[in-house]
Amino acid sequence: MAIAARQTLPPSISFLALGVAGLICAPLIYIVYLALSADSAVWSRLWTTRIPELLFNTVSLAVSVSAGTFALGVSLAWCIVRYEFPGRRVWEWALVLPLAMPTYVLAYIYTYLLGAGGPVEQLWQAWAGPEGRVFSPHSYAGATLVMTLDTFPFVYLLTRAALLNFNLSYEEVARACGASRQRRILRVTLPLIRPAIVAGLSLVILYVASDFGAVSLLRFQTFTYAVYQQITGRYDQAAASVLSLLLVLFALIFLVTERWFREQSRFYQTTGRYRTPARKPCGPLRTGVITLYLVVVFGLAFGLPAILLIHWSSAAVTEGALDARFLGFIRNSVVLSGLAATFALLVGSPLAYLASRWPSKLNVLCLQAAYAGYVLPGPVGALALLVLFSHLAPFWYGTVLVLIVAYIVHFLPAGLQTMEPALQQVNPNLEEAARSLGLGPIRTLRDTTLPLVRGGFIAAWVLMFLQSMKELPATLLLRPVGFDTLAVRVWLEASEEYYKLAAPSALLIVIMTLPAILLLVAKDWRAA
Amino acid sequence: MRPIREDQQPTAPAEGGRSEEEKRPLVVELRKVTCAYEAGHAAISDVSFSVREGEILCLLGPSGCGKTTTLRVIAGFEPVVGGEVYLEGQLASAPGVLLPTERRRVGMVFQEYALFPHLRVVDNIGFGLRDLPAVQRQTQVHAMLAMTGLTGLERRYPHELSGGQQQRVALARALAQKPVVLLLDEPFSNLDPDMTGKMREELRDLLERTKTTAILVTHDHEEAFAMADRVAVLNNGRLEQFDTPETIYHTPSTPFVADFVGQADFIPGTLHNGKVLTEIGEFPNQGGYHGGANVVVMVRPDDIHILPVERSAARILARQFRGSENLYTIGLPSGRVVHSSETSTSVYPIGTPVELRIVATHTVLFERKQTQELGA
Repeated sequence: MAIAARQTLPPSISFLALGVAGLICAPLIYIVYLALSADSAVWSRLWTTRIPELLFNTVSLAVSVSAGTFALGVSLAWCIVRYEFPGRRVWEWALVLPLAMPTYVLAYIYTYLLGAGGPVEQLWQAWAGPEGRVFSPHSYAGATLVMTLDTFPFVYLLTRAALLNFNLSYEEVARACGASRQRRILRVTLPLIRPAIVAGLSLVILYVASDFGAVSLLRFQTFTYAVYQQITGRYDQAAASVLSLLLVLFALIFLVTERWFREQSRFYQTTGRYRTPARKPCGPLRTGVITLYLVVVFGLAFGLPAILLIHWSSAAVTEGALDARFLGFIRNSVVLSGLAATFALLVGSPLAYLASRWPSKLNVLCLQAAYAGYVLPGPVGALALLVLFSHLAPFWYGTVLVLIVAYIVHFLPAGLQTMEPALQQVNPNLEEAARSLGLGPIRTLRDTTLPLVRGGFIAAWVLMFLQSMKELPATLLLRPVGFDTLAVRVWLEASEEYYKLAAPSALLIVIMTLPAILLLVAKDWRAA
Repeated sequence: MRPIREDQQPTAPAEGGRSEEEKRPLVVELRKVTCAYEAGHAAISDVSFSVREGEILCLLGPSGCGKTTTLRVIAGFEPVVGGEVYLEGQLASAPGVLLPTERRRVGMVFQEYALFPHLRVVDNIGFGLRDLPAVQRQTQVHAMLAMTGLTGLERRYPHELSGGQQQRVALARALAQKPVVLLLDEPFSNLDPDMTGKMREELRDLLERTKTTAILVTHDHEEAFAMADRVAVLNNGRLEQFDTPETIYHTPSTPFVADFVGQADFIPGTLHNGKVLTEIGEFPNQGGYHGGANVVVMVRPDDIHILPVERSAARILARQFRGSENLYTIGLPSGRVVHSSETSTSVYPIGTPVELRIVATHTVLFERKQTQELGA
């Protein structure tokens, strides 16, 4: 039966998959080609001027944000999993919400809060006198603060899941061996949940390395921001591609190392019967301390920014910000994201289907290739498409089509990650049963496979739609003239420090992203 | 039916050496210990027993009877709400008192071993020895490796070991710190059945060589009998009996114990002039029983032999071949059934009329209402 099915696989699907994989890999290949064919003078100029600084900035930002998210994520997860206190269940959810805040929104709010003459400085001067200064948001410290507050939920989520699955017997046996509390945590608990922490931190590092929104608004020079500046300010595509290649290499090396470490620590999976630790009830003092900590972190990362956005939005609305122009931005965002998500689903399905049903080397390779978007930060993918289209298809350059392709390249990996398991959960026997009952391949697909994968595919569509809504750098670089989306408006107004004008768009993005975050978390909750 | 009895005194449990044993110090002592996970819902209540140095004690009972809770109380993982626990004469647990586990010097072997998966065998075994100087620690670890037959596996990680090897590492780790008492929670339940016999012997031998006091939790009475010097039978959080394996098997103090530690039939009878009159014959009341006149006699299959007799009213209802024996189910005229164990080669067809021959050496009597809760 399986052999018969294999024979009836129409070659057109294989060609389609190959084509999609080629399309998605093309930007990456083209960037490499551009960078390697760049004049050696460009290389040596960049090497002596920009690269050391950019490398230092990018790496040190990644390091400090890792340290910050490690401290916040692990300690918060510990409080939530190991202690029982009033409101714990609410906090457990609330700590995920910062993920709904795009980095450029948080960055724009902190440029206001920490900026010269801003509320923090005023508060500080009331205490320290008129000469008092706070650190500028346009700095290493500012970028670290914003990125840490925005990404700690990755570490929190994964550490929380690991602590929930932690087998208490390990801690008990360590106690029986005479180990103190400190030694138990350092030698037993932390090493055993290390894979989860590392996975969380690696998400954070990739996020930091590919982020454009925050570093551009905070004017902190990292690779992504420099690539953008080379394209828009200097029109130097050769230099931009060299910097892009280095960034891609950075991401690639990091991913490979991370995967290697994960292979090494596979055996950490705990086996046997689980006894999950009982939550320790807290007295009023400990409840107070933990709640204060949670209020501060949540307030800085989500509560305060959300309040400011609502406050500014309502002010802007009364000033008449909800005009036809604003509705146009919403329409642009929704239509564009909807098209991108739909096309991504269409081109992604054959890839995921082939790799899970006919896992030949070629089909699996096609699927792997589609994940290339992961190592292509927004500005880099945009640069590749910009050059590619202006050389090969100049008549399409500057149209919405280019933007849609950019979104697909960028967000298909996230979609595939949801589509693949949905397909894998469908037992091939069901399809074979349908065939044995006399259904043709097309009807089998329509009546058997599609209804079963519908949930997963809808989730993938929603995910890609919302990611596209938030997308900033590619949209900035590739949008047709005068075609603004919500994300672009936030960034443009925020760059000019029109805080109030930026607020309605930002608030709308946050509100629309919330369900997706909760959807993802609910899935993760069930898995854990 | 004429009772056929060989009147013998019960063989008393080996008394020799008892007085010498009494001199050995108590290592663990529980006095009326009560432990509750939720208030008002005791997991164990009023449990008292003690373990002398070098002794192996088995906590035996069905799942949920509180045996693991008892072990966790001794380890100091669970606080007590009543009673006291003494370790080497020192108060370790009492209401409001809880000596932390890490200061109790108890060795613990978990059901799933809980070997640290991120540490090699040597580091697992040496985990509790960090107060020793490096050289001494290494010597001690290697002594443990040699003693448990793990030499050559020092550099392995737990996932690279077989189930039996993992158990030995867990033992070595617990014994390395020379614990005052070794606590084992169902140590054989994760092993292949054909391996448990060998591991039981190994463990018993290891404990004797290291003169280790041990408390072992099990739900398997054969395991308890094979391993233990003394057995504590628990049911519903209460201690039913605390005695040597032989006494527990032959003279169980409650119907529950009688039923739990082996096949038992309960035959109703009446006490009359120092004799118990039952459907299958007369039993002497040897003085151990001082209750009402309505009694039941406990008989084990090996207490009853059957002889095919043409006119007899009792009949064979079923036969179960068990390899070394045949277990017969016999229907009595009253409708009651009893069981008889015969040699492997005594095969009678079903329906054969048989006469019962009682060969018990002692009579175990319970008050009749006691057995009703067993459904007997």
